Amino acid sequence: MTTGADTHCPYCALQCAMTLTSPAALTPAPQPGSDPVDAAPAPAPAAAVSPANGPLLTVTGRDFPTNRGGLCRKGWTSASLLDHPGRVTEPLLKDDDGVHRPVSWDEALMRIVSAVKKARAEHGADAVGVFGGGGLTNEKAYQLGKFARLALGTSRIDYNGRFCMSSAAAAGMRAFGLDRGLPFPLADLDAASTILMLGSNVAETMPPFVQHLQGARDAGGLIVVDPRRSATAAFTSDGGGLHLQPLPGTDLALLLGISHVVIHEGLADTAFIVERTAGYDAVARSVGSFWPERVQSITGVPAGLIRDTARRLADGARKGGSYILTGRGVEQHIDGTDTATAAINLSLLLGLPGSARSGYGTLTGQGNGQGGREHGQKADQLPGYRKITDPAARAYMAKVWGVPETLIPGPGLPAVQLLKSLGQPDGVRCLFVHGANVAVSAPDANAVIEGLRSLDFLVVCDFFLSETAAEADLVLPVTQWAEEEGTLTNLEGRVLRRRRALTPPPGVRSELWIMTRLAELLHAPSTFSEDPETVFEELRLASSGGLADYSGIDYAMLDRGEAAYWPYPSGSTGTPRLFLDAFAHADGRAVFTAVMPRRRSVSRGSTPASAAERGSADHLGKPMTLITGRLMEHYQSGAQTRRVAALVEARPEARLQLHPAAAAAQGIADGDYVSISNERGEVSCRAELSTDIRPETVFLPFHFPELESANRLTEAATDPISGMPEFKTSKVWIRPAVSGDVPAGDHSGVQARVLQAEETS
Amino acid sequence: MTERIVVVGFGPVAARLIDELLPAVRSGIAHLTVIGEESEAAYNRVLVADLGVGRTTQAALALADPAALVADGVDVRLGVRVRRVDRARQQVVLTDGSTPGYDRLVFATGSRPVIPNLTGLNPDPAAPVLPPGVTALRDLRDASVLHSAVAGGKRVVVLGGGVLGLETALAAAEEGATVTVVHNGPHPLGRNIDRGGGAVLAASLRNCGVRVAGNARSTGVEHNAPDGGFSALLLDDGSAIDGDLLVLSCGVRPRTELAQGCGLSTAAGILVDHKLRAHHEPHIFAIGDCAEVRCPDPECVECRTARGPSGLVGPGWRQAEWLAEYLTLLASGAPAEAESLPALAAELPGVIVLKARGMNMAVAGDVSAEPWDEEALTAGAVNGRARLQIAQWADPEHGRYVKMTTRAGVLEGLVAVGMPRTSAELVQLFERGAELPADRSLLLRLDGPDQLASPGAADPARTVCRCAGVSGTAIAAAASDGCSTVPEVSAATRAGTGCGGCHDDIKGIIEAHFQGAVA
Repeated sequence: MTTGADTHCPYCALQCAMTLTSPAALTPAPQPGSDPVDAAPAPAPAAAVSPANGPLLTVTGRDFPTNRGGLCRKGWTSASLLDHPGRVTEPLLKDDDGVHRPVSWDEALMRIVSAVKKARAEHGADAVGVFGGGGLTNEKAYQLGKFARLALGTSRIDYNGRFCMSSAAAAGMRAFGLDRGLPFPLADLDAASTILMLGSNVAETMPPFVQHLQGARDAGGLIVVDPRRSATAAFTSDGGGLHLQPLPGTDLALLLGISHVVIHEGLADTAFIVERTAGYDAVARSVGSFWPERVQSITGVPAGLIRDTARRLADGARKGGSYILTGRGVEQHIDGTDTATAAINLSLLLGLPGSARSGYGTLTGQGNGQGGREHGQKADQLPGYRKITDPAARAYMAKVWGVPETLIPGPGLPAVQLLKSLGQPDGVRCLFVHGANVAVSAPDANAVIEGLRSLDFLVVCDFFLSETAAEADLVLPVTQWAEEEGTLTNLEGRVLRRRRALTPPPGVRSELWIMTRLAELLHAPSTFSEDPETVFEELRLASSGGLADYSGIDYAMLDRGEAAYWPYPSGSTGTPRLFLDAFAHADGRAVFTAVMPRRRSVSRGSTPASAAERGSADHLGKPMTLITGRLMEHYQSGAQTRRVAALVEARPEARLQLHPAAAAAQGIADGDYVSISNERGEVSCRAELSTDIRPETVFLPFHFPELESANRLTEAATDPISGMPEFKTSKVWIRPAVSGDVPAGDHSGVQARVLQAEETS
Repeated sequence: MTERIVVVGFGPVAARLIDELLPAVRSGIAHLTVIGEESEAAYNRVLVADLGVGRTTQAALALADPAALVADGVDVRLGVRVRRVDRARQQVVLTDGSTPGYDRLVFATGSRPVIPNLTGLNPDPAAPVLPPGVTALRDLRDASVLHSAVAGGKRVVVLGGGVLGLETALAAAEEGATVTVVHNGPHPLGRNIDRGGGAVLAASLRNCGVRVAGNARSTGVEHNAPDGGFSALLLDDGSAIDGDLLVLSCGVRPRTELAQGCGLSTAAGILVDHKLRAHHEPHIFAIGDCAEVRCPDPECVECRTARGPSGLVGPGWRQAEWLAEYLTLLASGAPAEAESLPALAAELPGVIVLKARGMNMAVAGDVSAEPWDEEALTAGAVNGRARLQIAQWADPEHGRYVKMTTRAGVLEGLVAVGMPRTSAELVQLFERGAELPADRSLLLRLDGPDQLASPGAADPARTVCRCAGVSGTAIAAAASDGCSTVPEVSAATRAGTGCGGCHDDIKGIIEAHFQGAVA
């Protein structure tokens, strides 16, 4: 046993390297609290381990090419959740009175088996569904896909990555034949003269990333596209670069305008286009009608800035290098795939992809958002980024798994459709949720919660009683990052080792163990394992020959610190930079796809209001555009970070960011409670006045539940290609909350969480 | 059954219509024929002036690929004209003698330049034969004439102070030509802009190196060049403006003669109803520059105030998209759904954003009223409708001018000269019909230098390290406790342990502390 471990942060896809050390020797964590729902005081857990009343483990940043020793506040405080008194440490079964009470693992597993069998017998195999997460290790993600298809026999598996990465993934597949978030090591950005970042606020979401923007800032070449003057956009002032502030939902037109300038001003890399791409002519024609002044009228971005951006990108490509990076801000739209495609087209016009010092990339968000989308958690996919509809892929996987090919179900439903089907007559009746908090993170959250409540049986694996777990019939306590072994694939496609620094509490199990036991009880074919390395060895074989080929990677080389970028076929040395010689399509060329903004039902002033708008009589005045996003202090649905005292202290609640001019029109002062509503729901929180946002746009973070849950307002409308939902342009109405709107009781949930977290500090 | 659709004209609006009809063509429910008079397929006329000054290439202007269309099954006929339309037989008679039949015929014939009545010019609009050294600016040939003049550093005289004339003049001047704009009225853009805006605009043009001759009535052209070409534009006060090339930019006129010839109603353009159908003729439609939306119903409020064709491409593209959807529904045998398709929203007055590098101007809507014209401002305020309000900012010394004409807080007109961000913001507010902030000066400040300054650098309690959430006060306290290097401060406070962007600030605070200690 060691007294520490070199591992990576539990949160985002930057996967900052960190070292965990125990102040004392490695000690098994005590079991904190016999009944987490019960108000009975928990035995003082921390004191039992560390006399100084500190955390179980000390976190220090570790030097690594991505984070260079840096960590953000989330990383620094991550260990405080290991012995949090709210941690679930025994299986919890919801009784008829709605209260969760502990049960034994044997009983928990038997309950699941009988619920699965019942659903299958009454409604067929597709009545059982699985909802996975982009935070699961590669091993868990791989085995979860196998578990769903072979042990449960269902096609109904998808994951929360559908909410973040699927549009960029679809665009990358279409253009390059391969989707790896960054097709180059992150440190390549250091030398760039120009970096165009669209819809990504790394200064808040992955702060140590910012180090890699310094070179471009010094060269005056950081260009940030964001409707808000975000912390990242603020880096462009004082000569750092340009901030383009388009109206929400107009990014596609903006990109077409920049491409127009590149073509018309002769800035395109014609040799690259001729030698390495296909489809240029159609794109050139399609951007022809987007001259800068017209784009200015659509986006609100001055034509001069559009021209400047094009010229700086072209200039950068000739000097130190130019990079175009997209994030969720431009991708989480009903035309997200097309917007990402427009960004890729622009990069192809300039000859950026496939070069050693320029490129296009998308910034993966979740911890294992990259690996989690490669190994079979997606409805349409088998391990190694294989298509589930491809006969050769099916035959290969059947061979690896030792089952007849007919046993592998066909494609299932993407996340939003899967959630919409919950409890429906021919929908999912029994659902497994792993590493996701859909009650907060999915669009149209009120409808999702209704769906969860209409299920016959809901099993949630989590280490806290998240908002989703609170709805579950059965909650299964699982290990946290510091208590387990495995691998994750970071935003650059580099496979990293997660290492165990601590023995988990006795009642807690790994998800690999749970799947293995259930597979046995369900008499599943093939093999399942609770040992991460065994599962990884099978993943290597399963991914061999696929797009995301891990076959040349093993734990031993990762433990030696070798940098393993996929594709890494056996016998190769991996691929830090993709596409240097050829793109992944059969003919080696990248493909331009002409894209156009879809006609939206928005409106010049004279257009009649939609039926939904007319239907809501209490929606007075002009609607505003709601965009959603992250805060530095919180991560995803906040299930973890809202339980960290230091983070909650810094950001205890959601605040609506609102321009003072818009606030003045409604008589709203800074700090006032406001109501934000539309036909889907209502959110109530305090207003934060700021000139950093456009006057017709408001911003809500999506980390908070209940009355502050931003996704009560978002619509479950999806991109037709990727199935990704529209999170960024919801129409909402804002008004000051009258005192009756905010009874103290309604916000007490938030207050109570704050108190709970403070008790642990 | 396959619906035969024939499109007459192959400009930008026709190109959009064809693109949108392609799915119907590919699926076999429609057969599409497009007839273009020029030998090139559709190209972007909006950028002809850019081509003329050598800022873009002909290839980049293309909006359609005939070969690809043919591959999709479209019957593309270029370099051929329609002689007449035979409505009785539902066919068009082409100059090559062929007679394609139609179930639906779409006029997208566009417009042609107005040739002013000047001595020395043949004013016949149907056959405008211009003498050497005189050109309009409509097609690729015109662009090449302009290009040789600009490339040769020649003197260019632009007749007409409209937006196209100004854009041509600015582009040519920036590319090295000597340019004079000749216009009547006191200032350029006389039909669109108010007096204040026009005056600032004229001054800005001069700053950009364009000579502006206002209040000028031209009467003729002189041909004394060695090649017998243009040498001067003659004015009615007896003076003359010398030059090597005269660019006529006197507006455009819808091409309606084919429609007139087959008995359709026309006014300025081919008259169509809200479904873009010619009056009393369900098989014929018109879109773009050649069409004038004015329905036969004398009671229609919308049409009573309707303006003629705008000459802008945006409305034409919206019509093309709408008509493609309508025709596709008709072709797929769903006439009921086609009829229930919501009619195209009425166009707002067009927005003019000057395409130019050296200066910035946008104008839209009616901006004629001045802040103190009570009569003009209250004229429309009946039946509870709000009166017009004007907010205005004029700084002629620095070439800046803004006027916002609003009703109930929503823009009905705007002028913005010399203020790029303000102009971009106002135009999109106008387009969306959005309410302006009550404090209009907010919009003026967008171009101010204070918008770029970094805020609050002097506040000692400000957050210095955002990643770890450490304030300047906390860092100063660490320095007081003996931390004298950035790593020491980082170890004590975690400041600087995220992105590292604040290391210089931390160093500054440490230095300030120890300097203070010494002093």
